[in-house]
Amino acid sequence: MQKPALASDNENMDWLSALLDGEADDDLEGIGRLARDEALKARWSEYCLIGDALRGLSQPSGRVPERVRVALSDEPTILAPVVKPRHRPALWLAAAATVAAVTWMTMHAEPTAAPPVRMAMQSGPAEVAALDVVPYLAAHQDYAQALTSSPEMHFSQVALALPEAAR
Amino acid sequence: MSDREIDRQLVERVQQGDKRAFDLLVEKYWRKLTRLLSRMVRDSGEVEDIAQETFIKAYRALPQFRGDAAFYTWLYRIGVNTAKNYLAAKSKAMPTVSEQAAPDEEGTEDRWAVQDIATPESELLSKQVAMAVNEAVEALPEELRTAITLREMEGLSYEEIAQMMNCPIGTVRSRIFRAREAIAAKLRPILGTAQDTRW
Repeated sequence: MQKPALASDNENMDWLSALLDGEADDDLEGIGRLARDEALKARWSEYCLIGDALRGLSQPSGRVPERVRVALSDEPTILAPVVKPRHRPALWLAAAATVAAVTWMTMHAEPTAAPPVRMAMQSGPAEVAALDVVPYLAAHQDYAQALTSSPEMHFSQVALALPEAAR
Repeated sequence: MSDREIDRQLVERVQQGDKRAFDLLVEKYWRKLTRLLSRMVRDSGEVEDIAQETFIKAYRALPQFRGDAAFYTWLYRIGVNTAKNYLAAKSKAMPTVSEQAAPDEEGTEDRWAVQDIATPESELLSKQVAMAVNEAVEALPEELRTAITLREMEGLSYEEIAQMMNCPIGTVRSRIFRAREAIAAKLRPILGTAQDTRW
């Protein structure tokens, strides 16, 4: 088999040089090729040595001793299920679920005829426009205030603009 | 693909049965690990023994490696514990090392003022390698020398180097590659690696 052209050879090594720096494009096949190709592995070794020498890491020993390679080659092959890194719980998933739940609740709790009731956002009184919910809110205002720390309970203070007839 | 991602991909390949991928990790971290261990152990021969045992332990423990920590962080902990056990077995006193300590090279080196004692042969080889690399870097054209220095000694990304050198990222990539090739060519006679072994 003829040796590949110099341009393609350099192209291979160019990618290898970038891979060592963590600057290569996602190329799982390339990493596989690196693991199988002795020439690429030799070049990888040289690049590592160059970087370590520039950073003063060439001492006390330079190359990886052959006995280390032999010892590792005597180890049995590993066949283990790939364990993905434990990422933090997918916050986007939780957020999406919350939005979906709130949307569902809003759709099913939508009032039929009366105009929407504006709720106060934690501070300041707000007028309650819908007269039919006034008694309900009045009955539960204390409970709402007790839960001001809860992010769901935004109506901690609701000013009840009672109509004259209700007073 | 970041450096950590590359390590993770290599680990996954090993976990799937490709032992050759582990060789790449050994090549990448051998000198870094032995330098660390040399701060704990005087004898260079023992350093190599401990480093070898560390990599073997790491290889055997790879099925349990989840990737929560970086591979070298995990390897570092194994190396430190292996060194402690090794020296304890030889009844040598050792300063305690926190297993949770990050592998900060600078801080770790200050912790033990242990002088390296290398064999004459390995010390000579190390000096030859260092000299050859430095001479090769000095002989590079300025743009190549700047690029490889910023990358290897300053740890800058290609993007950062491109901004500093006012050139495209692809040019930075090419310059660093060409610099490495030029330096590698100077190293091969010292390492006894013939050019034909490239293929």
